[in-house]
Amino acid sequence: MSQRKKSVSASQNKTQRRSQASLNEDEEASFSQVSSSQVQRARENFTSDQIDRKVAEVVQFILIKDQKKMPIRRADIVKHVIKDYKLLYTDIINRVCRTFEQVFGLKLVETDPKNHIYILINKLDPIQGEPVSMRSVNPKKGLLFVILSVIFMKGGVIKENLVWNSLKKLRVDPGEKHDEFGDVKKVVTDEFVRQKYLEYVKIPHTEPVEYEFRWGLRSEKEVSKLKMLEFVGELFEQDPQSWTQQFREASTVDSSSQRTSS
Amino acid sequence: MSDTRRRSRGSQEEPAGPSNGVGVRNRSERTGDMGDEDDVVGGPSGISEEDDDPTRRREIRSKYRDLINQVQQNREDMLNPANNKLTDVLEEANKLFVNVRQAREAALDAQLLVLATDLGKEKASQLHAEGSAFDPSAFAEHLLSFMGLNRLEDESGQDGHLEGYLPQGAWQKLANRSESCFKTAPSFHYMLGSFLAEPPPPRQRVERQRRVPSKEAKRIMPTQLKQMEESHQEATEKEVERILGCLQRYFADDSGEPISYYEFVIDPNSFSRTVENIFHTSFLIRDGLVRMFLDNDELPCIAPVEEGEIEPGGASIRHQCVISINQESWREIIDAFDIKEALIPVPEVLSQES
Repeated sequence: MSQRKKSVSASQNKTQRRSQASLNEDEEASFSQVSSSQVQRARENFTSDQIDRKVAEVVQFILIKDQKKMPIRRADIVKHVIKDYKLLYTDIINRVCRTFEQVFGLKLVETDPKNHIYILINKLDPIQGEPVSMRSVNPKKGLLFVILSVIFMKGGVIKENLVWNSLKKLRVDPGEKHDEFGDVKKVVTDEFVRQKYLEYVKIPHTEPVEYEFRWGLRSEKEVSKLKMLEFVGELFEQDPQSWTQQFREASTVDSSSQRTSS
Repeated sequence: MSDTRRRSRGSQEEPAGPSNGVGVRNRSERTGDMGDEDDVVGGPSGISEEDDDPTRRREIRSKYRDLINQVQQNREDMLNPANNKLTDVLEEANKLFVNVRQAREAALDAQLLVLATDLGKEKASQLHAEGSAFDPSAFAEHLLSFMGLNRLEDESGQDGHLEGYLPQGAWQKLANRSESCFKTAPSFHYMLGSFLAEPPPPRQRVERQRRVPSKEAKRIMPTQLKQMEESHQEATEKEVERILGCLQRYFADDSGEPISYYEFVIDPNSFSRTVENIFHTSFLIRDGLVRMFLDNDELPCIAPVEEGEIEPGGASIRHQCVISINQESWREIIDAFDIKEALIPVPEVLSQES
């Protein structure tokens, strides 16, 4: 009896997995089916000049896509740039990563290995007191910092209301049009969310419906919790280590990410 | 039987104190045996007049709803560790519960309890935090100071109401400082800024879509042009050949008599066809396939040149002459020669084109 049950559930699992795979676009299937001999043949089909050009095109594509800080989907890279060179995707993207690291000092990170979404982050630490880029920083960064730091200091998840209340205290009313940010609610729950800085999710079983905020995948890669904690400490004129829990989390995350990046 | 139960319940109710916990237990028993009594209205059910008074019940419900609202609206305040508002709400609810007799009011009490428990849980989680607690309100105050809040107008000093204003560029200042927490890749921009923010993504798409059809269009265009040129050249050649054929036929029909040039060339229905015929015939004469001379009446005649007569290299003496014709002389010639119809029929292609 229990054996039968097991076999049934196993086959169910299989069908489920299959339907999931088919959901992940046929593009996914063609990627996993690539054999090494196919890749070998493809390598012979293209001259190194052709591949150099493709690599340059992908680099440019990603740079332009990154202007708005929206994550870059592998499907888009393939569809718009790689095209016929699809079999060599891994070769090309590896060289693109190398170009970003060695030429631009940037790092191409796959934030979501399942859906193959990439972001660009800076590999170099900012120099103290130096402007990071020639252009002035977007003031929205300040808004984002406030939200991210409140989430982090409150343990990773906060109710939507806490965000709006905190912003109201800073003279930013989500219901009103702000001089610098425009439609604040849209910036926070749409732009930041699409850029993967924030996650904005419905809390289950709430009536009326409530939402909560968490850090998005981009923030996890791009924001240094330790530096954030240092700044918060500066504001409170307090030792960052006095927030024991946060400090512990920040130092473990930062050191582990340093280990993976080096 | 039911009588004794009711009496026992009554005795239970009396000592029910203001403690919520007891109230809840109490209520669950009540709703249990009220399920079958609720529908029966009036005396026989055993509920006293006072318990069933609709106005009183409505009043209790409204008070519960106010309380629930108050909790929902002031959630953040209630969570503040500095006050005891949650306890106040619970005590208020206990006072209300003393008068609760029926399920509808009890359900509201339960709803409030759910909210209170949720708040309690959150308050408890604040206690968990090791080390310093983080107070978002204080954080906001510190941020305001950092951003250079102008507090000059801060006279009333009331908390919760916003005084003072942030100077220009306050958020920019915060953004600049917090930038050091981010490892954001500097975004790529064109040096002259001509394609600053908006165009790039659509621009790429447009380019790619256009490139493909334009290639095809280019490929089609030249072939079309070539065909046109070819057909024109061919048309002239064909027309010259056709006219030669006509001339040779008439010549043979007329048993080798030369044909009057004007009669041959003139189309009485069309001046332009006439000009075209003259033009095409001139090719025949230039190529030496046809000769032109004056007959006994000093009128121009033409006759095809026999195969053998063609002199190689065009060694024979050639004369050049210019024939001019205008509408007037064209009509005169038609009258003089009494031309009724064209000897050279209108070619099919041209008639289609016109």
